[in-house]
Amino acid sequence: MTASKLLRHETILAVLTIIALAVLASLSDKFFTAENLLNQGRLMSEVGLVALAMTFVIVTGGIDLSVGSILGLTAILLGVFWKNLGLPLPLAIAGALACGTFAGWVNGFIITRFSVPPLIATLATLALYRGLAEGISEARSVRGYPEWFYVFGQGEILGVPFQLWILGIATVVSAVILGLTPFGRATYAIGANETAARFSGIRVHATKLWIYTAAGFVSALAAVIFVSRVTTTRSDMGTGLELDVITGVVLGGTSIFGGRGTIIGTVLGLILIQALKNGLALSGVKGDGTIVVIGLVLIGAILIGAMFDKNRGG
Amino acid sequence: MNSKDVERADGATHAHALPIALRGVSKSFAGIKVVTQVSFDIRPGEVHALMGENGAGKSTMIKIMAGLHQADEGEILINGQPVRFASPRDAHAAGIATVHQELLLFPELTVAENIFLGQTPKTGLGTIDWQAMRARARELLDSLDSGDLDIDQKVASLSVGNRQRIEIARALAQDARVLIMDEPTAALAEADVQRLMAIVRSLRARGVAIVYVSHRMPEIFALADRVTVLRDGHHVATKNVSEVDEPQLVSMMVGRAIDRLYPAKQGVDGEVILELRDVSYRGVIRGISLKLKRGEILGLAGLVGSGRTETALTVFGITPATSGQIVIDGKPEHISSPEAARDLGIAYVPEDRGQQGLIRSQTIEDNIALANLKRLMRGFMVDAAKVTAEARKAIERFGIRARGPQQLVRQLSGGNQQKVVLGKWLATNPRILIMDEPTRGIDVGAKAEIHQLMRKLAGEGMAILMISSELPEVLGMSDRVLVMNSGRIVGEFDRQAATAEAVGTAMTRSYSREDAA
Repeated sequence: MTASKLLRHETILAVLTIIALAVLASLSDKFFTAENLLNQGRLMSEVGLVALAMTFVIVTGGIDLSVGSILGLTAILLGVFWKNLGLPLPLAIAGALACGTFAGWVNGFIITRFSVPPLIATLATLALYRGLAEGISEARSVRGYPEWFYVFGQGEILGVPFQLWILGIATVVSAVILGLTPFGRATYAIGANETAARFSGIRVHATKLWIYTAAGFVSALAAVIFVSRVTTTRSDMGTGLELDVITGVVLGGTSIFGGRGTIIGTVLGLILIQALKNGLALSGVKGDGTIVVIGLVLIGAILIGAMFDKNRGG
Repeated sequence: MNSKDVERADGATHAHALPIALRGVSKSFAGIKVVTQVSFDIRPGEVHALMGENGAGKSTMIKIMAGLHQADEGEILINGQPVRFASPRDAHAAGIATVHQELLLFPELTVAENIFLGQTPKTGLGTIDWQAMRARARELLDSLDSGDLDIDQKVASLSVGNRQRIEIARALAQDARVLIMDEPTAALAEADVQRLMAIVRSLRARGVAIVYVSHRMPEIFALADRVTVLRDGHHVATKNVSEVDEPQLVSMMVGRAIDRLYPAKQGVDGEVILELRDVSYRGVIRGISLKLKRGEILGLAGLVGSGRTETALTVFGITPATSGQIVIDGKPEHISSPEAARDLGIAYVPEDRGQQGLIRSQTIEDNIALANLKRLMRGFMVDAAKVTAEARKAIERFGIRARGPQQLVRQLSGGNQQKVVLGKWLATNPRILIMDEPTRGIDVGAKAEIHQLMRKLAGEGMAILMISSELPEVLGMSDRVLVMNSGRIVGEFDRQAATAEAVGTAMTRSYSREDAA
């Protein structure tokens, strides 16, 4: 995959994002302030982290609908490990991360071992993990975490929200992996033609297993940040997260059929969505109006992308 | 048909009678001219063969006639009237139907439904007139001498030959006056080929003009009235078939005379490098034992489904052996994945290029890198410069006709695609090369090149296991021939003993279990 070819959609998206930012800035003077932008960065971190892993998933031609449920389950387990089992909080965090990662591995295992379509497998675990979260929590929320824990969700380093640093590092790492390593090449190859990838000696199953496991891990990481940001644990956390994540990834130019997509695109897609949500709210547009706009932008971006794609064919 | 010469003398006055005529047609893709100023016409009631190497522009010409592509220059005349096809629908309306190489039927619909898809007979109420549809379908198939086809059967359960007849019936249902057939016999068994040829003749007798694309010389001489040869997108000549012979056609196609069909053996056989001892995979292949030596080409003959490809897949780790032993360089190895096979120096050029061999939506360099990622790294990253260099090397070594390493594989012709697959695998420095149908769907020129390359590789010490359904290829290329039948090896012939009769008999004989055991 050469950069020039793939960057085309990203270029359109970047232009679109800049236009959106300019328009939104002109609509409200509260929008284009450092404080507001950093705060928006804080709000998009959880979706952003999961979207990075989701980009890999969708590039392989798969989908992971269970990420929101994994987030919810992990959040509950964090509270339970700490409050009910009395584990020290760092240990509870580690345990929760491990469980979320395991949940992702289970997805990958079902998909690769039994050849279940990812849509079906993760639709099932979407229900399964959410059900577990609700069962374990028994509708009780956990509060009163120690002060240091809030640094993940509310703290700052050099004036930038803590989780934005994590998102930044994760973005660079995943962009390098997808764009420059053999693992990334394998990811694209699997999405473009799984049989040919297998016949070329690519470890198709192992690659997919890693990707779904990573999706579980970042969902768990997002859960810890989420709990820290909102200072409480509830079982319905992360409901519908998967749709926000997939919207960002697809808006970013990743083909839902696999084989195409970039991390840069995903990040641009996320920024555009978050900017629209916030900017339109600040300009006095009601919530439903914002969703309509996001839907229209998504359709528009896909149509433009499809147009360019057609011109390229031969 | 008999008035050919008369017509040719004053063809212009008869232009209104020509079902389709092309005048100076050109077409470019992404700046590359694939067809340049091509003119020819098709007369009613003739079989007009369209020949040329892969990449010569045949497919593009067909697609222009079928309305899938639009010509950049030149014009198409239907009955002397210039037309412009914006879509295949327009071409259908003008009486042009196409039987594609990949049959475009709907497996879950019945035979009758497939024939009338898009032109279903309606009742006065606007609902489907099932009775009329079934009766018409019956009639059409009977007229194609295919009364044995059940019109209520789902297409999924039918053989390729039967599906093809349905496609032809579908074309007739549209009252096609021009029928374009793209390599109709490529996937057919011999009996079906004969049947198809009979159908083509009967269509011709009815006045249908047939554009017939095929690489198979015997068919051309048995069927065609005229032949148009394309080379590199240019029109070379249109001749009466009675005026040309096979060597002339070949040299028109490749632009040079092909001196020898099969290159002679070079060098001598070395030690045994691959040995299979009583290898089985489930019930599919049973008790396979064979030895492959360095420097030899071992041919694996057999009918489709006899277990040849399955044997290759087992050696390559796609379907790991369920019993028996695979020995490489005297060491028993457990090959559990293609990756393991590759690391042992085994390369497999699969039979299905588009599905198994290549990622057609990716570039040449991406494809070549795919099996070689470990070698093409700097630190933990893939080195883009090395990847491009590797692709350039392959393009040069195998004479791949492409704009460069970044060209998409799907834009290449079949022969060049096959060379990319070869390039990918030879870059892994294999010691054992398994080639499954190495020249299927490839034109004569590229075929000879690939044969020469195989010989050269064997001469350099490569051990080659070749699977082929083309008996002349098996006999011409192999130093030794093994014949498979019902999942077992049933015969071994050295070069002298491997005659068409001996190998053919072993291939087709029905062995009972006791015989083979």
